[in-house]
Amino acid sequence: MRVAEPVFAPWRAELALGFERREARTVLAERRQDGPLVVQKPLYPEGDEVCHAIVVHPPAGIAGGDELEVAAKAGAGAHALLTTPGAAKWYRSAGPWARQKLAFEVAGVLEWLPQETIVFDGALADMGCEVNLDAEACYIGWEILCLGRTGSGERFGRGEIRLHTRVSRGGRLLWYERGRIEGGGKLMHSPVGLDGRSVLGTLLAASVGLDSKLIAVYRAAAPETAITLLPGLLVARYLGNSSEEAKHCLARVWSALRPALTGREAVEPRIWRT
Amino acid sequence: MTISTEKLALLLQLASPALPVGAYSYSGGLEAAIEAGVVTNAASAQRWIGDVLEHSIARMEAPLFLRLCSQDADIERWNELFLASRETAELRAETVQMGYSLNLLLPELGVENVALEEPAFPTVFARAAITWGIEPREALLAYLWAWLENQVMAALKAVPLGQTEGQKMLLALGEKLLGIVEEAARMDDEELGNLAPGLALASARHETQYSRLFRS
Repeated sequence: MRVAEPVFAPWRAELALGFERREARTVLAERRQDGPLVVQKPLYPEGDEVCHAIVVHPPAGIAGGDELEVAAKAGAGAHALLTTPGAAKWYRSAGPWARQKLAFEVAGVLEWLPQETIVFDGALADMGCEVNLDAEACYIGWEILCLGRTGSGERFGRGEIRLHTRVSRGGRLLWYERGRIEGGGKLMHSPVGLDGRSVLGTLLAASVGLDSKLIAVYRAAAPETAITLLPGLLVARYLGNSSEEAKHCLARVWSALRPALTGREAVEPRIWRT
Repeated sequence: MTISTEKLALLLQLASPALPVGAYSYSGGLEAAIEAGVVTNAASAQRWIGDVLEHSIARMEAPLFLRLCSQDADIERWNELFLASRETAELRAETVQMGYSLNLLLPELGVENVALEEPAFPTVFARAAITWGIEPREALLAYLWAWLENQVMAALKAVPLGQTEGQKMLLALGEKLLGIVEEAARMDDEELGNLAPGLALASARHETQYSRLFRS
């Protein structure tokens, strides 16, 4: 007698968003979706100029074989803030890789501030992010990566995460980070790697308006993070064991950066508190 | 790998700490690891240096160096990628300053310099090696050796450690270099990786470290 393995058809999902400036308002002018990735009604908690959009993946988790792609464009003069309603979960895989690709084209201002990503023990997760900026564009984005469901004592002991992030301005590469985290592997324990910690947070801010004189202010806003200023790009990192702490730290850096880079105070999306 | 005696002398010159590029003024994050109490003695220094070698240098700098050595290399693209892969301002400044210094020296040694705005150190080192007819893998071995020796010297000064401990560490870590060269020669472009968050954090914190001997 043969026992059939349960088979779940993998999901492909694509969401493409285009934000444009129409007079004094940023509007969601283009929205294409294919599969289970949707954007909720645009919100304007800080007035017409900034459009907040919540990207939702209704299946709640990403399983082996799933492929997700989120593409967003912010045209000249447009300012969009994207976030998510809750933690992204990557489930244990029976073999196939799950993939997520983020592709951002920015001429105005784009903020990508999702809630944390929890990678379950045994997941095979490939996460890519490519940001292309026009000459005057501003981008602020973060990723908070949690290895294993540490709340229930789980460790990321098997599986693998592949990360790749590229940020370019005018076709010139500003930032490249790529790597593999093998479940239970050496990088997880090495002091040059994750040093036994389970949460890695990385904030990137690209702007032509970054001022080296303000870096001390950003550092003071979140002393738990380590901040450096590269040409046209600020990087803040958190390495610890709490996704809540990571979020608070990176949000404080964001709050300090945002007025200087966009001329606007940081307004936390209400969904972060629910 | 076999190398002619004539080429060996040129390679030793490139890899020597006498090369006037100021390598001795950089610790590449090691000094911050000492400040943080991660590196406290010979064993922990060897672990840190060996881990940077394994997780960062072997996966990014080494395969990239071989690409820079190929005859039809798109030098500008690989140089741009290397600079974009530097995790912090200090790690970027280190390679840019050393590249600048070596690039100034090259015409004096009969080597045409690299015509890029910000040539990184491996870019310029590779140019000298290929102009002198040195095989890429031999050049990479020398490049890695120079990096390793500089790290060990930094540990001797900053931990501090004794000379004999330093020589033992060079011998132990030096044994790994040939394997790294062979592995780098096998890597595809998609396998190049620099993810080493502990190193990146240490290096970023070094920027505000109160007392320090090194510029990185």
